[in-house]
Amino acid sequence: MFSESGILHEIWSNGKARFGMIVFIIFAIIGIFGHFIYPYSPKATFVIWQPPTFAHVFGTDYEGHDVLSQFLYGTGVSLYVGASVALISVAIGTMVGMLSGYYGGIVDNIFMRFVDILLIMPTFPLLVILAAYLPPTNNTTILILSLLSWPFMSRVIRSQVLTLKERPFIKAAVISGMKGFTIIRKEILDHLMPLIIINAVYLLVGAIVAQAGLAFFGLGDLTSINWGTMLYYAQSEDAIVYAAWWWILPPGIAIAIIGIGANIFGNGITEIFGKRSGGA
Amino acid sequence: MITRRYLMVRSAYAVATTFVAIIINFLLPRIIPGNPAVTILLTNFHYLPPGKVKLLEQEFGLTNSSMLYQFERYLVELFHGNLGISYYYYPETVSQVIGTHLPWTLFLLGTSISLSSVLGVITGRMLGFRAGSKTESATSTIFIGLTSLPFFWFAIILILLFAVEVPLFPVGGVFYILDTPGLNFKYISSIAYHAALPILTIVATTFPAFALTMRNTMANQNKEDYILMAKAKGLPERIISKKYAGRNAVLPVATHIILAFGYIVAGAFFVEVVFSYKGIGYVLYEAVTTKDYPLIDGIFLMITVTVIIANFLADLLYAVLDPRVELR
Repeated sequence: MFSESGILHEIWSNGKARFGMIVFIIFAIIGIFGHFIYPYSPKATFVIWQPPTFAHVFGTDYEGHDVLSQFLYGTGVSLYVGASVALISVAIGTMVGMLSGYYGGIVDNIFMRFVDILLIMPTFPLLVILAAYLPPTNNTTILILSLLSWPFMSRVIRSQVLTLKERPFIKAAVISGMKGFTIIRKEILDHLMPLIIINAVYLLVGAIVAQAGLAFFGLGDLTSINWGTMLYYAQSEDAIVYAAWWWILPPGIAIAIIGIGANIFGNGITEIFGKRSGGA
Repeated sequence: MITRRYLMVRSAYAVATTFVAIIINFLLPRIIPGNPAVTILLTNFHYLPPGKVKLLEQEFGLTNSSMLYQFERYLVELFHGNLGISYYYYPETVSQVIGTHLPWTLFLLGTSISLSSVLGVITGRMLGFRAGSKTESATSTIFIGLTSLPFFWFAIILILLFAVEVPLFPVGGVFYILDTPGLNFKYISSIAYHAALPILTIVATTFPAFALTMRNTMANQNKEDYILMAKAKGLPERIISKKYAGRNAVLPVATHIILAFGYIVAGAFFVEVVFSYKGIGYVLYEAVTTKDYPLIDGIFLMITVTVIIANFLADLLYAVLDPRVELR
């Protein structure tokens, strides 16, 4: 009933969701092609602390790097971290949530007690201590953020599966002799799609902000160029004192735009999804 | 209503989570490859100062090889409030460092959360009552934008605008170095002056989320029968909004604020870093950049336990506030 392309079509027909999609597509294009279109190498140096000029549209930083090139290059890295975290946590969270919700019993108990503890634990201090001890690479950051993101996802999926389980079409599938895994794969997963998409988007943005935050705190791979490290060096090299707004604005505004895009996209999806469950 | 079973389950979770935090705190320094004493000395001093390795090994309780024995020693020290000695603030202990800086963070957090929740409730109520109007949807969109801004970036922009471009406020710090601490007007006003921008940052980035929650519940309340009844009775809108719908919509906002507590603490830490405001967040940043592991560990444990306890208490408080809530 709700095939993959059907969902995409439905999302596109909602104004808010379409706006969000367009924001993501633009950033994805910058992220993927940024590596080929930056005007200079992100590591090349020029005159330091230059305000924007025609040669350097976003100016230069404390070591004379071209800020536009750094931004174009860094977008890819930031999106890579965000997308990886979203993918891993959605995969684990959906799997655990579906198994827990559908089968209940001992499986559910073990998973959910573990999830409960991870949810009670405040995230930020845990992030800091893990990042402080583990080797500072982007992959470590991805690992830590995924570890802390999937529990919430599994909770959301689980409670949705619990209500789906009571719906007539699942009962019918059970009575007609369908196997548990087949029901999960064919019937339940299809109906979870809107919820999965919306959470994937929030996870993506959350991970981008969290990575930027960790980098800003001096954690993670500080040699990697991304939105977070750009802001870290802006702070630690006193961009404020030099009033170098051209260096501070691009990564922050990018984070804000992608955040707004995700929120509006989320509202759009809720509109579509809410209408559907109301009519069902 | 809080049943006894609920109370027991919740406290069991709080205790279990605290225990997990303690285990993480114990294990992390011990599972990084190599001798942590050597690793830490090398990253700090780039050579091995004679005698220091032994000293640090003792500090970590690594001299006896049995993990269980080490864990026992660790727990005994922990319950005596001994979190070890800071490298960076040497010879101060971790507990002393936390003790001197914690009050500033509490001051910052307490003021910001109070202001932000009051502001959130008031603006949310206004938005909720005008739900659907042009002004409302424009304001809500701006609020969504504000919630999407990273705390630290917003802080940097505020400094740039109001401390560098238009020097109204100090660029950072807690008070002027020349001020004499005490109950004198100059000192207190200096503290307020230095805290103004950090507090403004936290309030501006947190209240929109509270306002949006308030708006949503208010909009739902407006569809309820008792509101229709109040309108039919001819009660003025101001009273309906404040005393009827508003009163009922406040509770979800209270939950939201409670759930956001850990998030706000983290946010305040970032703001402290940007403003060089010497609270716990700034100290944690220093500890991270100087690889002061005992201090990182101590702050991790302190914050984790505080947030767990705060959430637990808030959970109970919620049931007391709303008698209809039955917590089993």
